[in-house]
Amino acid sequence: MSGEARQVAAHEGAHGDDLVVRIGQLTRMLRDSMRELGLDKEVEKAAEAIPDARARLNYVASMTEQAADRALNAVDRAQPLQTEIETRAESLDKQWQTWFENPMELDQARQLVNDTRGYLAAVPEMARDTSKELLEIMMAQDFQDLTGQVIKKMMAVILEVENQLLQVLLESVPDGEERDAMKRRMESAGSATRQEAGLVNGPQINAEGEDIVSNQDQVDSLLDELGF
Amino acid sequence: MDKGMSILVVDDFPTMRRIVRSLLKELGFTNVEEAEDGQEALGKLKGGDFEFVVSDWNMPNLDGLEMLKQIRADDAMKALPVLMVTAEAKKENIVAAAQAGANGYIVKPFTAATLEEKLNKIFEKLGK
Repeated sequence: MSGEARQVAAHEGAHGDDLVVRIGQLTRMLRDSMRELGLDKEVEKAAEAIPDARARLNYVASMTEQAADRALNAVDRAQPLQTEIETRAESLDKQWQTWFENPMELDQARQLVNDTRGYLAAVPEMARDTSKELLEIMMAQDFQDLTGQVIKKMMAVILEVENQLLQVLLESVPDGEERDAMKRRMESAGSATRQEAGLVNGPQINAEGEDIVSNQDQVDSLLDELGF
Repeated sequence: MDKGMSILVVDDFPTMRRIVRSLLKELGFTNVEEAEDGQEALGKLKGGDFEFVVSDWNMPNLDGLEMLKQIRADDAMKALPVLMVTAEAKKENIVAAAQAGANGYIVKPFTAATLEEKLNKIFEKLGK
């Protein structure tokens, strides 16, 4: 109780004490009736969903960050290769142009021929390395599928929390327009089907569980153990 | 292995279908079609001459495991090789897929090298 409230309570004497007792009774009644209606369980369930939702959001945040890093790193590796292909070709082309405009000694031409052959031999490797980086950029996009699955699960959780909270509200709102509107909202939320847990869990947001494999090697050795 | 063989890629996420298709192309397989869930896949498999299936597990309508079971139960399709590529990473998932007759199991996220290795292994076993 704040100092001011205490003062008021003191001033009002017995009447203030009555008020405190009355509030206490009301609180107890509210808690009891929530328990009787099973609503405390609903609120508990809603609250339990929150840490899981937080873990899932963390997973989404880190997967998207990783994907962006992977793509940007690949671009950083590919760009110098492209620049080299471009500048060396331009330089050779310029030298050939000069030579054709003013054909000079054979020695100079021989050097140019050698440089050109060296360049031609180097281009396929640089092009292959660039392709490798393009593939890496493509593979980095696999986060969309993984985070998409997690987000879909999150939406189901949010729907569930909404439902449970609405249920609690519904019980505490008197009959009338507001209650009818809430009921309609709950019905529409409830009609969305929820996926059964079991074999369909989506990506493991925490790969440290006991019955969870965290990489392809573990999958392979499990299948080997089973004789597949 | 015949690089012209027709392959069906089944996944409900378009991005993943695109990635798998591009990887297959990179490996030389260009005859690739797509389906977005098990139900659509079964329809395509019954109507077409597919020789290989790469499938996700968690999909709406009909999931990958159920689709696999139906393929194995169908006389016309039961020998069709099926490679699961999925984010489902529980031991019971892998066991269930193997028992249902999956020819391979790749867990997402995966690499191009893993896909190539599993494809080779499957065709080696099948003697193609």
